[in-house]
Amino acid sequence: MQATFSIYRKQPGQGSKPGRSTYTVELADDATVMDALLKIRDEQDPTLGFRGSCLHGYCGDCTVRVNGKSAFTCTAKVAPLAGKEIGVEPIRNMPVVKDLISDWDAFLWDKIDMTKPWLEPNGSAADGELQIDDKVMARVRQAMSCHYCGLCDEGCTVLPVDFKFVGPAALTKASRFLFDPRDQATTERLHILERPKGIWDCVHCFEASEHCPREIAPTERIMEMRDEAFKHGISNDQVARHHHSFAASVKRSGWLDEGRLALESEGLTNVKGLMKLLPTAAKAIARGKAPIPYLHHKRPGADKIARIIDKAEAKEK
Amino acid sequence: MVVGGGAAGLRAAIAAKQAGAKVALLSKVHPLRTNTGLAQGGINAPLGADDSPEAYAGDILSAGDGLCDPSVVQTFTLQAADAVMWLERMGVPFNRGGDGRFDRRKFGSNSRARSLYVDDRTGHVVMQVLYEQFQRERIPLFADWYVTALAIDSARCVGVTALGLRTGALDSFGARAVVLATGGFTRLYLPSTVSLGTTGDGQNLAYQAGLPLMDLEMVQFHPLAYAGGNSLMISEAVLAEGGQVVTAGGQPIPNFAGSTRDKMCMAIQQAAGEGAPVSLDLTLIGSKNLKARLPQTAELLRTVAGLDPAKDLIPIRPVAHRPVGGIEATTTGQTPMHGLYACGECACTGLNGAGRLAGNVLTEAVVFGARAGEAAAAYAKSAPAASFPAGRLEEEKKRLEALVSSEKSDDTAGRIHAELGALMDRSAGAIREAAGLQAARGQIHALKERYARLRVRNESAIYNYELVAYLELGAMLNLAEALVVAAAARKESRGGHRRSDHPVRDDRTGISHTMITMVQGAPQADTRPVVAL
Repeated sequence: MQATFSIYRKQPGQGSKPGRSTYTVELADDATVMDALLKIRDEQDPTLGFRGSCLHGYCGDCTVRVNGKSAFTCTAKVAPLAGKEIGVEPIRNMPVVKDLISDWDAFLWDKIDMTKPWLEPNGSAADGELQIDDKVMARVRQAMSCHYCGLCDEGCTVLPVDFKFVGPAALTKASRFLFDPRDQATTERLHILERPKGIWDCVHCFEASEHCPREIAPTERIMEMRDEAFKHGISNDQVARHHHSFAASVKRSGWLDEGRLALESEGLTNVKGLMKLLPTAAKAIARGKAPIPYLHHKRPGADKIARIIDKAEAKEK
Repeated sequence: MVVGGGAAGLRAAIAAKQAGAKVALLSKVHPLRTNTGLAQGGINAPLGADDSPEAYAGDILSAGDGLCDPSVVQTFTLQAADAVMWLERMGVPFNRGGDGRFDRRKFGSNSRARSLYVDDRTGHVVMQVLYEQFQRERIPLFADWYVTALAIDSARCVGVTALGLRTGALDSFGARAVVLATGGFTRLYLPSTVSLGTTGDGQNLAYQAGLPLMDLEMVQFHPLAYAGGNSLMISEAVLAEGGQVVTAGGQPIPNFAGSTRDKMCMAIQQAAGEGAPVSLDLTLIGSKNLKARLPQTAELLRTVAGLDPAKDLIPIRPVAHRPVGGIEATTTGQTPMHGLYACGECACTGLNGAGRLAGNVLTEAVVFGARAGEAAAAYAKSAPAASFPAGRLEEEKKRLEALVSSEKSDDTAGRIHAELGALMDRSAGAIREAAGLQAARGQIHALKERYARLRVRNESAIYNYELVAYLELGAMLNLAEALVVAAAARKESRGGHRRSDHPVRDDRTGISHTMITMVQGAPQADTRPVVAL
């Protein structure tokens, strides 16, 4: 089988302009894209840069986009694509060092480092075998089935706007410790996670969960960590205040007191934050669209809504 | 200085740091991308009420087919339970039974259910937990660094020279002790179950430094590798979960599960030799249990082989998997050279004899990894200060520069590797004989001559993977030659070494380790007696 590849090229260093190179190779019928890349480097262009390790789809090192779709070069078969030129590019959201060699340090490893990514054991091996419900362990195993392929971070809609966001992959890693009964650093972890660029910067668009090839559901993992932060009363962050104010308003009046939500989200003692609201508030007033905080009437059926919320809260307790 | 970021290297680094040493780790791939992830089915520890270090030792000795060093087996089996319990407390979420206690698989020829497991991703998860604790110790990591040579001064290892792939710079790393934990070499076979970088770099460094390589002829072939494309390995755990190996007629091969890997391979080759392809039948497990207990296997069979294990039979063949032999080392990792330690798959302690018990490779990595790390730390503390040999870095720079040339050539490293891999699979595979081995030696010699003429064309320093592949090929050629010499020297069949011209085990000559040393550039075979208790 003959196949032609158009591969993304970039020289190392700032300011170098990316381009493309085209190669035609003869391959076995069951060849993978990795087989093609290895052959191109060996026979045609020794300067072609790409990563790869396990060769069997379990390590996540060789993630790229093949014809615009994310794939692992070691498992992607060439045959179904061979009729036309096959495009190979790095995955999105990820800085590139050279050609298809992405910067995993900046993209993932450094971000994982920020989340205290190790267990702080609450005992020692001398304690003997611990009896733990396998359902609890299964939850940890699910998070640890992650093979760091980066596809959730590729799908993330926050990272393209703010690369400093820790991102779903590193946060999924963090969740693995938070729900492990053998760990003793829960409070410290939650304080780390609630920092800016952490769990509250997720916009729950669920793209991470859509992109995960292992059904780990990173977005749901982030939501669980937010719940955990609330449970531990670690909610002094702006977004947590926002959630509190939102829920309280709905419970009080059956709908949203938007003006009050804005003020309470900033924090009523946060003068600097409140000052920031002034220009927006002024514009809204000028256009007759300013919701006046606290002057907010109950909507019909509000008492029923309050009862539903009470019930839910009682159940959660 | 620990070289290699897999399970053994990480465990050694953690132990050395906790013993008070200043540690750094160099690895050519990131620790989370190492071949440790290949281990799937389980990790052995004698933790069951029906189990004991003695029973465990009995099974190891039996799988080792008379070639284990019993004292090494004793040391190992006495420490295995603690080493695995340590992993558990550091965070490995082993599967539990209904009572919340460890669920254990009966794996391979183990006489007890003693393999703790994490679904079918045991290595992948153990690797993560080791890396987590490595980070907890704040040990500096040099990932994407390739070690090109050992620095030796007055018969003592005092560091390494290594190429930073990202910066393109060759650098010297002085160290009072060096621990090699570079993994196996079975990429010198094609096909093979292992990762791209499993090329025997550490074994080659030791071999070139004049150290003996032990029991190289003992290579484990994995019985359950997908017969198509890229030889996906299917964990033996599928047999414990109810899978069966069947002939073309759909008949299960009798007494298959529960035997040693070499016997499984023989049974498959025998059945296939009669013209009937052999398949793995996982349909009996059912789609629910496949998803719940073998999720990775089911996923990879779908993506790699395009097969649905709940419905389809999977064609299989034995494929080169792991070496049993390697750098001669004691149970504390000590090699015959001062300051140089080896652990994990690149080392050979005599634990496994002629064949490794299924489920032992991860236990071996953590038990001997920790012991090597501690011993290296102790040595580093007591040994006199050493300085990096003057001029060594410049010499190595010149050697590497001389490899690069823009001169056109028809030959390539990939072609030489492909020929080597096929040759080894054919002539030094699961079954060997004298004439084939002798011919193979000649052919390897010819490949080495071609290799010596070959040059690296990529002049760029940054991420020059052509240069890395070239250096890896050099290591594989050296080891292949040594392996073939070792296989020719053992004129009997034992464990992972099967000779069609010497089909029976011969205890008059066979109970000694094969030692291969490089003498004036060529491998020389010798023996070392098995050390009794």
